[in-house]
Amino acid sequence: MTTTHNIDELNISFVGVGGTGVLTAAHLLAEAALLENLNVVIGEIHGMAQRGGSVFCEVRIGENVHGPIIPIGKLDILVGIEPLETLRYSYKLHKKSYVLINTYTIPPPSVSIGKEHYPSLEEIENTLRRFTPLIYKINAAEIAKKTGSLVTMNIVMIGAIAGLRILPIDANNFIKAIKTYFPEKYHEQNIKAFKLGYENMSENIT
Amino acid sequence: MTKIKKIVSTPPGKKIILLGNEAIARGAIEAGIGVASTYPGTPASEIGDTLYHLSYFYNFHFEYAVNEIVALEIAAAAAISNIRSLVSMKHVGLNVAADAFMTLAYVGVNAGMVIVSADDPFAYSSQNEQDNRHYGIFAGIPVIEPSNPQEAKDFTKIAFEVSEKLKEPVLLRTTTRVSHMSAPVTLGEIIKRQETPKFIRDVKRFVPVPAHARELHKRVLENLEKAKKISEEIEINRLIINENSKIAVIASGIAINYVLDSMKRLRVGMNVLALGMTHPLPENKIVNFLTDNKDKEILIVEELDPIVEDQVKRIAYEHKIPARILGKRDKLLPMYHELNPDIVTFAISKILKIQPPINLEAIEKIRTEIISKIPRRPPVMCAGCPHRATYFAVKKALDGRDAIFTTDIGCYTLGIMPPYQIGDVLLCMGSSIGMANSFSEIFKNEKPVLAFIGDSTFFHAGLPALANGVHNGHKFIVTIMDNSTTAMTGHQPTLNIEYQLRDRKTKSIKIEDVVASMGIKNVKVVNSFVVKKLIDAYKEALEYDGISVIISRGKCILVTLREMREKGQKVIPFEVIPEKCTGCRTCVDELNCPAILWKDDRAQIDPFLCSGCGVCAQICPYHAIRRRMEHDNDT
Repeated sequence: MTTTHNIDELNISFVGVGGTGVLTAAHLLAEAALLENLNVVIGEIHGMAQRGGSVFCEVRIGENVHGPIIPIGKLDILVGIEPLETLRYSYKLHKKSYVLINTYTIPPPSVSIGKEHYPSLEEIENTLRRFTPLIYKINAAEIAKKTGSLVTMNIVMIGAIAGLRILPIDANNFIKAIKTYFPEKYHEQNIKAFKLGYENMSENIT
Repeated sequence: MTKIKKIVSTPPGKKIILLGNEAIARGAIEAGIGVASTYPGTPASEIGDTLYHLSYFYNFHFEYAVNEIVALEIAAAAAISNIRSLVSMKHVGLNVAADAFMTLAYVGVNAGMVIVSADDPFAYSSQNEQDNRHYGIFAGIPVIEPSNPQEAKDFTKIAFEVSEKLKEPVLLRTTTRVSHMSAPVTLGEIIKRQETPKFIRDVKRFVPVPAHARELHKRVLENLEKAKKISEEIEINRLIINENSKIAVIASGIAINYVLDSMKRLRVGMNVLALGMTHPLPENKIVNFLTDNKDKEILIVEELDPIVEDQVKRIAYEHKIPARILGKRDKLLPMYHELNPDIVTFAISKILKIQPPINLEAIEKIRTEIISKIPRRPPVMCAGCPHRATYFAVKKALDGRDAIFTTDIGCYTLGIMPPYQIGDVLLCMGSSIGMANSFSEIFKNEKPVLAFIGDSTFFHAGLPALANGVHNGHKFIVTIMDNSTTAMTGHQPTLNIEYQLRDRKTKSIKIEDVVASMGIKNVKVVNSFVVKKLIDAYKEALEYDGISVIISRGKCILVTLREMREKGQKVIPFEVIPEKCTGCRTCVDELNCPAILWKDDRAQIDPFLCSGCGVCAQICPYHAIRRRMEHDNDT
């Protein structure tokens, strides 16, 4: 897909676990879209979201998007910062949607104490394939460790979507967005995370 | 650059991405407010929080109030004194403030006053789904409903103007989706108001004794007539003319977006009357709309109750317009939960008798199938939450004895989940103690009654209920879960902590002093992280003849962790000593901390999740848990 500013509608959903930067990732994408002069709408739900709960945040880009909720069958890119949550929010996908999964799992408490079973990555992928064949995996935790901390997993994921080259947003605008969004002392680490994610996915798709 | 700095430093005419709630705060600044107050509550919290931070940059007074009615009274006194003011609260907060709200409509204001009610369709973080537009109708106060962040800002300013014209407060009603939607907002100029506080004594207006109230009620109705004229002319009630299909739509608030999204998806054009002011309605505009679209089905789309729908039907009846008006009464759209673009698309398809672009039922089936096969991830108390050991201690002290647990509004409501299952009944803020008054009387010879309430909630609504208990000689145990913050809504300050306002430091009110001053003799302050002392306090209280208050005091772990990060301190996690762990599962089954895992028939502690509170080490019957050596901590 080539970069175009006449983008009509592009819907991206970020899903994961509370405390892993789901909302931050979504807002960074929105800031980058604004730098690209695109219209953008973000929908999120706050409250009762202590650390560890299931979290999602929807970003809609384009001239003709209005509400904050992505309609069913109109989700173009699902960014799963946690595999199980990727599956939980997969029902809005269509046949040509892209799914990007971070393979780093965070088991829910019921799994941690041995009461429930966490599906294998293979099972998760198979279920996602019922919707779309375009599934990309990335070990964002491994990559984030190279920046010194797992907290940059979400930024690695942002880099990875940019690396897929399906967004109408220039990579430089993501870097600009990182600089306006984070305090200066975190710039270097986050830019590194973005670049590593970007490179990893660029290699993955070529 | 943080959001607050952006809001302050971005010049008018430029765009920044704002949350609906942040946009309301900016709108209030642009309108030149002099006073603002709130009591935090999702989905309204960010309005107050943003204003608190902005009060350092602009010349207005902000304070977190003890509860919503005091917050509303703070704003009302300012607006009566010619100072523009804003008060924000969640929908159920307006129930608390309703006593002041209803009569404020009688006495009115002088400068503009905006009351923001953030409603919560789907009850994402609330105990009910009430539609607060009823309050506007109930009190005779105009209602304005924005549909996105730009409107949230602009309509706030407009609400101030309407309020000033009518000399009545205006209710700005958002819903969760508007409050928590972010989008680019073009900032406007900030009005510099030459404010001189002015209070002109007028007892006939400001003191509604019965004789005055009777006259003032007429004033409300006269003002509503004026408001109707405003509603006819105001630009926020606007027509969107779009080529003809067989439907015309009247919509308000967030629902307008779903109608526009549906039009695009279905590729159908519809005439839409988009209402930004929903009370009073622009009757002539509606009559014209119904007449202009007389061959069409009229669909009314609004969040929650069929308020506009019922009134449009009334208007059609009064004007003898034989329109076919569809919406919630005929169950085309639901009266419960929240709307979304799919529900609206589906309803429009049904009226037009066209194939909907999606098979909602089939997708719901797939979704249910997927979800039923994967483990849930419900909200849990955090690792290191101070409430956990308190609940553990209650269970230990009761030792299997039956009790009634009245609970309240806060993170500690999660005590209803296994393994604690502490929380049998809840109505609203403060109901834990209120209902304990009666439960303890009814079951006095059968079982103890234990009420659980947070520090913020205690000040908000627990005080009168506790005074009632003392006065009437009841016997129950109140636990004040004092984590020294309003945790669930985003860590707003409470009355028992000292913090900096723009121009002064707040004073901390000690809960133990307040409680003791009521004459309660058995008051224990216990560290929330010391299990044995907690158990002892409960054992003693269960034997005590009278009201006991146990103040379980321990900082919210999220606050502690933030403070540690700021100081550059690292958490030193705990670990299980493998050779000592017998696999008894006490920590897993009875404490249930998310950092404790079960692997190969032994407990393990996830060093990333552990916050180092040490409660598990105290409750392990085999002393198999210890703090890690600091040099091990390379995680």
